[in-house]
Amino acid sequence: MRPPTIELRIQSLIHRHVLLQVALVALLWVAGEGVVRATQLPVPGGLIGLALLLAMLTTSRVDAGLFSRGAHWLIGEMLLFFVPAVMAITQHRELLGDMGLKLLGVIVVGTVLVMTGTALVVDACVTLRHRHAAR
Amino acid sequence: MLHDSPALQALAWSTATIAAYLLAKRIHQRFALALTSPLLLAPVLLFSLGAVTGVQYLEYFRATHWLGLLLGPAMVSFAVPIYERRAIVAQHWVALVAGVGVGSMLAVVTAWLLSSALGVTGPLRLSILARSVSTPFAVAVSRDIGGVPELTALFVILTGLIGASIGRLLLRWLPLRSGIARGALFGMGAHSVGVASASRLGSEEGAIAGLVMIFAGLSNVVLAPLLLYAMR
Repeated sequence: MRPPTIELRIQSLIHRHVLLQVALVALLWVAGEGVVRATQLPVPGGLIGLALLLAMLTTSRVDAGLFSRGAHWLIGEMLLFFVPAVMAITQHRELLGDMGLKLLGVIVVGTVLVMTGTALVVDACVTLRHRHAAR
Repeated sequence: MLHDSPALQALAWSTATIAAYLLAKRIHQRFALALTSPLLLAPVLLFSLGAVTGVQYLEYFRATHWLGLLLGPAMVSFAVPIYERRAIVAQHWVALVAGVGVGSMLAVVTAWLLSSALGVTGPLRLSILARSVSTPFAVAVSRDIGGVPELTALFVILTGLIGASIGRLLLRWLPLRSGIARGALFGMGAHSVGVASASRLGSEEGAIAGLVMIFAGLSNVVLAPLLLYAMR
């Protein structure tokens, strides 16, 4: 039996270590930020990175196993990355009292409308499709 | 001693933040209530620690800034669940596009009209526009259109927590025939908290909710600046 090539060894190393996968994902984000800076596109660099990764995965240029555990870890622990942002509330006294209640109203009423509209449209699409298929 | 060295401060406050988050996560797994969400519980723990040690917020923010930067890689990561569910996307893309399109429009327009009607203006109104989508997207949108990113982050969290409860009530009243519609309702209206609720209904609901949440975030990054320009 031949010994595994360097390429295969690196691949299996990345498959086993979440932290290396996170580093790979971060590398794509850095690349995305670079593209945004160079082209002045009005979107966040993460979006470009997402598009890049999705394009590489769907065209089978890269193996999903190199990214999937790292990506799921980043998504799973995402709340941690917001904790510093939430701490900033101490700097916003205007949210206490009257204004806070108004904002709560906007969120509650807005969410009811968004959910109702979305669900009815999707349900109509699915029902139409089934009727179409049944014919 | 802590006040002298920025490196020591960064280490101390980052460790404290991660520890508070992990503890909050344990508590949330035990009780699984909206009120025990790590995003509410961890800051409360840190506030009490900050009150005891008399830390200045700016000092805390400088020390933990790097944690927020990880939202960039988190956004890139969403490519993986999209890829894994490509069969569902291919099968239901019409319903997904229609739902996300209508939902995103409704989210931005209702937020704008309701805030204007209630007298919420300026950066606060801009900050609440993006609140319906998953936080990494929402924070990016808020920064682009002139809102306050940390306020948007707070509104997103509140929307998720409130939306999950509203969604369960709406399911009783709305005559929905498909699991896809139930999933889309939660993914569009309550992002990641909604995805968790939808997953409890079934695997189809959960998968659709996750996809709708991601696509809503993507479409908002593109749509919000355009809509805002049109409404001015």
